[in-house]
Amino acid sequence: MSAIRTEHLSKRYGATLALDSLDLKVEEGEVYGYLGPNGAGKTTTLRLLLGLHRPTQGAATLFGIDCWRDPVAAHRRVAYVSGEPFLWPAMTGAETLEFLGRLHGETDRGYREQLIERFQLDRSKKIRALSKGNRQKVQLIAALATRADLLLLDEPTSGLDPLMERVFRECIDEAKERGQTVLLSSHVLSEVEAVCDRVGILRSGSLVDEGTLDELRHLSAQTIDVTFEGSPPRLPALPGVSVTSNGGSGLRFEISGPVEPLLSQLADQRVARLTTHEPSLEEIFLHHYDHGDGRGPA
Amino acid sequence: MDARVRTIAFVYAFAVYSYIQPAGFRSTYPTLADRIAFAHSFAGNAAIRLFYGFPYDPVTIGGYSAWRVGGTLAIAAAVFGVLAAVRALRADEDSGRMELVLANPIARRTAFSSSLVAIALGIALLWAAMTVGYVAGGLPVGGSAYLALATALVAAVFVGIGAITSQLAPTRRIALELGSAFVAASLLLRVIADTAGGAGWLRWATPLGWAEEMRPFTGAHPVVLLLPLALSTALLFTAARIARGRDLGTGILQARDTTSPRTRLLSSPTAQALRSERSSLIAWGGCFAVFGVILGTVATSVSSAGITPQVRRQLAKLGSGSIVSPRGYIALIFIFFVLAVCLFVCAQIAAARQEESEERLETLLALPVGRLRWLGGRILLGAEAALILSLIAGLFTWAGTSSQNVHIPLWQMLEAGSNCLPAALLFLGLSSLSYALVPRVSTGISYGLVMVAFLWYLVGAIAGVPKWLVEATPFAHIGLVPTHAFQTGAALVMVAIGAVAIAAALAVFKHRDLTGA
Repeated sequence: MSAIRTEHLSKRYGATLALDSLDLKVEEGEVYGYLGPNGAGKTTTLRLLLGLHRPTQGAATLFGIDCWRDPVAAHRRVAYVSGEPFLWPAMTGAETLEFLGRLHGETDRGYREQLIERFQLDRSKKIRALSKGNRQKVQLIAALATRADLLLLDEPTSGLDPLMERVFRECIDEAKERGQTVLLSSHVLSEVEAVCDRVGILRSGSLVDEGTLDELRHLSAQTIDVTFEGSPPRLPALPGVSVTSNGGSGLRFEISGPVEPLLSQLADQRVARLTTHEPSLEEIFLHHYDHGDGRGPA
Repeated sequence: MDARVRTIAFVYAFAVYSYIQPAGFRSTYPTLADRIAFAHSFAGNAAIRLFYGFPYDPVTIGGYSAWRVGGTLAIAAAVFGVLAAVRALRADEDSGRMELVLANPIARRTAFSSSLVAIALGIALLWAAMTVGYVAGGLPVGGSAYLALATALVAAVFVGIGAITSQLAPTRRIALELGSAFVAASLLLRVIADTAGGAGWLRWATPLGWAEEMRPFTGAHPVVLLLPLALSTALLFTAARIARGRDLGTGILQARDTTSPRTRLLSSPTAQALRSERSSLIAWGGCFAVFGVILGTVATSVSSAGITPQVRRQLAKLGSGSIVSPRGYIALIFIFFVLAVCLFVCAQIAAARQEESEERLETLLALPVGRLRWLGGRILLGAEAALILSLIAGLFTWAGTSSQNVHIPLWQMLEAGSNCLPAALLFLGLSSLSYALVPRVSTGISYGLVMVAFLWYLVGAIAGVPKWLVEATPFAHIGLVPTHAFQTGAALVMVAIGAVAIAAALAVFKHRDLTGA
C-alpha cells in the first residue's frame, strides 16, 4: 500500500483548473520532492491530500484511507507543516506545542525537548512576539515530534536561517532512517537535491516529470567545458551540440545528443583542460521551464 | 464586515428610524390632549427614561423625536464611531497591510488623516440620513439638522475614543473591547443621570448626556455643541501624536509577551476555544449582570398613575399587556436581553469564522480533528454560554427587584431569562447555516438577520402594520414573562428550526472547501 496515492485527481476552482488528472504515487519510506513553479498546484495537492478541499474528480488516499471521506483516520498517521505558520497569537510556543501534541495523540515528548534545543526555540514567548521564522520552528517541532508515518511539508524551511535549515535536513535524514515517509514541496532546490530519493515536477496541474535525480539528469544537457592551448578552434557543427565561448581560450559545449562525435573531434585538438559537470536540480528545473517541454524521461 | 457595507447599513437604519418615530407619533397621538396625557404617563416614568433619556418636551413632535430617536441613535452613533475608528486605524495595521502602505513615500500623518477623512464622510452621511428622515416625518428643517448634528457629534467623540484605544491597545480586538467599554460606561452614566433623582448633573460627564443637553426642539442650547467638538478634536490630536511615536503593530499598553505555560483547557479544540473566548464571555456576563440589577431596581419605580386607555392600547400592541407594574415593565424590557443573547451567539459563530479566515482552522484540521467535532464544539459552546447569560439576566434582575422589596419569585425571573434561549437557538442555527453556506459574508448576514427581525418587531408593532406581517418575526412570538405565559408552542418551533438549521450547517460544512479571507 502506498503512503500517498492519487488517481486522476482533479480540482477546479470556478473557471480555473488547478489540478489536471494528477496520478501521484509515493511509497512508504520514500522521501519525495515535489517541485513546480508558482501556481502549478502544489499547495492545492496538499490541501486535497489533507481533506481541506474536495476533489472535483478522482480520488486521493493516504495509506489506503480516502482523504476526503475519512480524514480523521488518515491524519492519525500524518503530520503537516504549512508554508506560513497559522497559529494562535496569544498562546506561547510551549502552550502551542502542548496543544498540537495533545490533539495529535502520540507525541514523543522527549524528542520534542530535543528538537526545541536543536532549533533553539524560546518556548515561553507568545506567538505574536515571535518572528515568522520562529513561528515556523514551532510548526516544525510539533510535526517532527509526532514521529508520524507521513510528513507532508509545504515549504517547511521558509523563513529559517541556514543553520536551522541544516538542523532541518538532519531531522529529515533521521526520519528517513526510521522509515518515515516524507513529501517535501519546496523551492529550495539544494535542499531537495540533498534529501530526496525521488522528485516530481508539477506544471499547470499535472506531473510533467518524475524520477530519481539520475533519471532526470538525462533530460538536461550535459555540459563540457574545454580549455584549449592557444585560441579555440572552429569546429564543424554537430547535431545536438551547442557551443558558446567560455573566456579567452575556452569553449562550453552543451550536448543533448550523443557525446561520441564531439569527443572524436576534440581528440584531434590541443586540449589543455576538460571538465564535465552533471546538471544540478536547479538546471534541470530551469531547463524544463525555459524550454517548456518534456513529458517523462526517455 | 466591509466598512462600506457597515456604513450603508447604519445610514439606512438611521434614516428609517428618524422618519418612523415622528411620523408614528403624529398618527398615534394626533391631538395635543393626547400628547399631554402621553407626557404625563409614559414619559414621566423613570423606567422609561432608562432607555430613552430625559424627555424635555415630549408634547411636541420635535421634543418627542429628540427624546426617543435622539436617545437611541446616540448609542448607535457611539458604536459606529468606535467601530469605524478601530477598523480604519488598527485593522490594517494588525493585518500587515499598513506596512505596505507606509513603505511608500506616505507619511504616517497622511495615512492617519486620510483614514479620518473617510470616517468623517461616513458621519456626514449619517447626519444627512437623519435630517432627511426627520424632515420627511414632518419636522422643520432647522430643528432636524440640529438634532441630527447632536447625534452625529456623539459619533465624532467616539471616533476620537476609538482612535485613542487603537494607539493604546496591543491588538485590534482589545482596542475594540476598550472602545466598547467606554460606550457602555457613557451609557451607564446617562442612565443614572436620567433615572436617579438629583443626579442630573452626571449628564455633563458623558457625551451621550451632552446630546441631550443640546435640547433640540426644546429650547436649543447650541453652545453645548462646543463640548463634543472640543473633545473629539483633542482626542484625535492626541491619537495622532501617539501614532507618530508608536511602533507599527503594537500598542502603548503592552500585554505580556512571555509567560510560563498554562496548560489547562488545551486538550480539545473546544476547550481551547473556551480559553480564547474566556475574557469576552466574562465581559458579556458582567454587562448582563450590571444591567440586570439596574433594570430590577428601576422597574420598581414604575407606577400606573395617569396612564390613559389610549396609551395602554399602544403598549398592548407590543404585547406586554400591562407595562404599568414592575412585572410588566420587566417583561417588556427583557426583550432587549433576548436581543443581546441573539447577538451574542452571532458573535460566537463570527469567532469561529475568524479561525477559518485566519487559516488557523487549516492547522487544526490537518490534525486528527474532525470538522463536525470542531464546529459542533463551537456551536455547543455558544449554546451553553447563551444559557448562562440567560440565567444571569434573570438572576440579577431578581436581585435588583428584591433589593427594593418588590417581590417577584426567583423562578419567574429565571423563566423570563430562559425566554432568551429559544430565540438564541434559532439564531445560532441560522448563523451556523449561513457560515456553512456562504462563509465570507456570513458574519454580516447573521447580525443583519437578528437586527432586521428585531426592528421588524419593534417598528411593526408600533406602526400599526397588520398583525400577520408582524408575526413573521420570531421576536413577536416570545411570551413576555413574567406577565404573560411562556409561549411553549412558539418556543418549541424556534428550537426545532434552530436544531434543523444546526444539523444542516454541520452537513454542509462537512462538504465544502475551507475558504480563507
